[in-house]
Amino acid sequence: MGVVYCSCGPANVKEMSEPSEQLAHVELKDLPPLPPPYDNIEELPGFKKLKDETREEYEASLDDTLAASLKKPKSEEEEKEMVERFLSGLHKLFTKENNWTFLQPLLLSMEHCAKCQTCVEDCPIYEESGHNELYRPTYRSEILRRLYFKYVKNGNKWFNTFQQGGIELNWTLISRLFELSYRCTLCRRCAQSCPIGVDNGLITHELRKLFSQELGWSPEELHGKGTIQQMEVGSSTGMNKMVVMDNIEFIDDDMTDRVGFDVKTPWDVEGADVLLLENAGEFLAWPENHGCSSILLDAAGISWTMSSELAGYDGVNYGLFYDDVQLARVATRHFEIAKKLGVKKIVMGECGHETKALGVIADRVGIGNIPRESILTLMRDIVFSGKIKFNPEKNDFPVTLHDPCNIVRNLGIVQPQRDILNYLAPRFREMTPHGVRNYCCGGGSGFAIMSKNNFLDWRNHISSRRKFRQILEAFQDEDMSPETKKYVCAPCSNCKGSIRDMLDFYGAKEKSGIYYGGLVELIVNAMEDAREPILDWDMM
Amino acid sequence: MGVFEAEGGIKVEVDEDGFIQDPDVWNEDLAKALAKTEGVEDMDEEHWKLVNYLRNYYQQFGIAPMVRKLCKETGIPLKRVYELFPSGPAKGACKVAGLPKPTGCV
Repeated sequence: MGVVYCSCGPANVKEMSEPSEQLAHVELKDLPPLPPPYDNIEELPGFKKLKDETREEYEASLDDTLAASLKKPKSEEEEKEMVERFLSGLHKLFTKENNWTFLQPLLLSMEHCAKCQTCVEDCPIYEESGHNELYRPTYRSEILRRLYFKYVKNGNKWFNTFQQGGIELNWTLISRLFELSYRCTLCRRCAQSCPIGVDNGLITHELRKLFSQELGWSPEELHGKGTIQQMEVGSSTGMNKMVVMDNIEFIDDDMTDRVGFDVKTPWDVEGADVLLLENAGEFLAWPENHGCSSILLDAAGISWTMSSELAGYDGVNYGLFYDDVQLARVATRHFEIAKKLGVKKIVMGECGHETKALGVIADRVGIGNIPRESILTLMRDIVFSGKIKFNPEKNDFPVTLHDPCNIVRNLGIVQPQRDILNYLAPRFREMTPHGVRNYCCGGGSGFAIMSKNNFLDWRNHISSRRKFRQILEAFQDEDMSPETKKYVCAPCSNCKGSIRDMLDFYGAKEKSGIYYGGLVELIVNAMEDAREPILDWDMM
Repeated sequence: MGVFEAEGGIKVEVDEDGFIQDPDVWNEDLAKALAKTEGVEDMDEEHWKLVNYLRNYYQQFGIAPMVRKLCKETGIPLKRVYELFPSGPAKGACKVAGLPKPTGCV
């Protein structure tokens, strides 16, 4: 076990139900120091305090931040009603007809935790918070476990409660628990380290689901501006069909200018082999990612198309993070579009949660009979097909690889991206640890798009801290001045957003020359026939 | 939610990050006042070029443009955008232009 820095969290589970001004605190001085030149707290960005007016409007009695941002109740009746709804939702979580996705692993995780705490040292949030008890992965789970044994589990209630430890169900508990369900990135590193397979990530997910489906509580970025906007406008970015087609045309023209040959995205081609379904955030924030995918598919002679139908051009499915019903709605829509076009398969772009939602979880919706493939495996096949000439020397700069949790740990797609980088990035080096033992970017489970109030500070100081540390360590054998440009390859939109935010926050581009981007950009950057390099450091 | 108040009787609703809630209440005086919150004391020609481009694009398409498009069509390189608006195109320039906060994985 490492050095224990501090514990500013609750002393026991029962405290969760006891009203107090604030249950836990985050103090920057308690966080394990970062390597130089990021080791001086005085020189780092601070942790903004919540405003008094914010504390008056929202339930902010958990820690020093707000992610989910629940408004305070208007009356005692409302409190009571919500507690009742929580209880009813709790029962539903444990019945087959109401939890058709995850009942079995949830039950196993409730019943079999041996409380050995092996998992806690594998949680980057707990570790990098200086061991704040509030963020211990088993703390959150223990609350749900006690509620389960007290209110749901059959048998002698008094004995169950005695054996498992009691807990009081009240407004204080549920409002804090809601906020606490957004202090874990669902990276599931703890589940991997558990000798029995207890999944604290899943437990957090099930809590979010209960709150969303039964109480209507969810972060606006994931729900109102997320899945709802996607189903109403066509994309969580707010792009309707006209805007997305205009943007893609711009990307096509821009890429054509740069590479010196025609780049044109095909729309709504019936009977194409591949429907390319990317995270639409790419088009706005990282347009080269789409442009390069387009170039690569054409160069490989693949018959492909995009869809301009509502939600057909945005592969995100934030339902995965918080709500099974929303997940099913979005996934169903994606399948319908692919079926209507008559494509042979859907290829999912460089987006971790999309790949997990559509590639695996959607099978539980029941209509997932269209083959789906991650673009990572397809790219590996294309790169090694012999159809395209590469000059790896074009990528003559240090590169490291970030493993998106959903793609690597959770789906087991580990090697294709490495085969590509070993071939096309001569100065590629791994992070420590990597592969299925990777650390989350800190933006998992929707965090990358949540930045209200001071949540961005929490994210950059705590949940992204381990990844930032790993990135710095990966380049330690290089000149760490900004003159040597270094590339963090992150084949996932969500991870890229999070890595961008942390590099900005710590000033790592200016101080250490650290840049980031996707995988397909490195592939196309190494193409012999491209006129100009695709990587435009000035735009990164 | 909060209220943004400034000289000249300016009083508008803003979200947690200071983005105005109703794009229709935007005017040049409000832009100047919002710019001050972004560390921009005086809006010069280049600032207005960016802000006006963002406004026009938003009115036509209902969302913010791609950053690359903004740079290409105004002829202002990204580095310069950051010099003009230190918090960058999305958090800085868009806020001053009265656009809502971007949504989705951007």
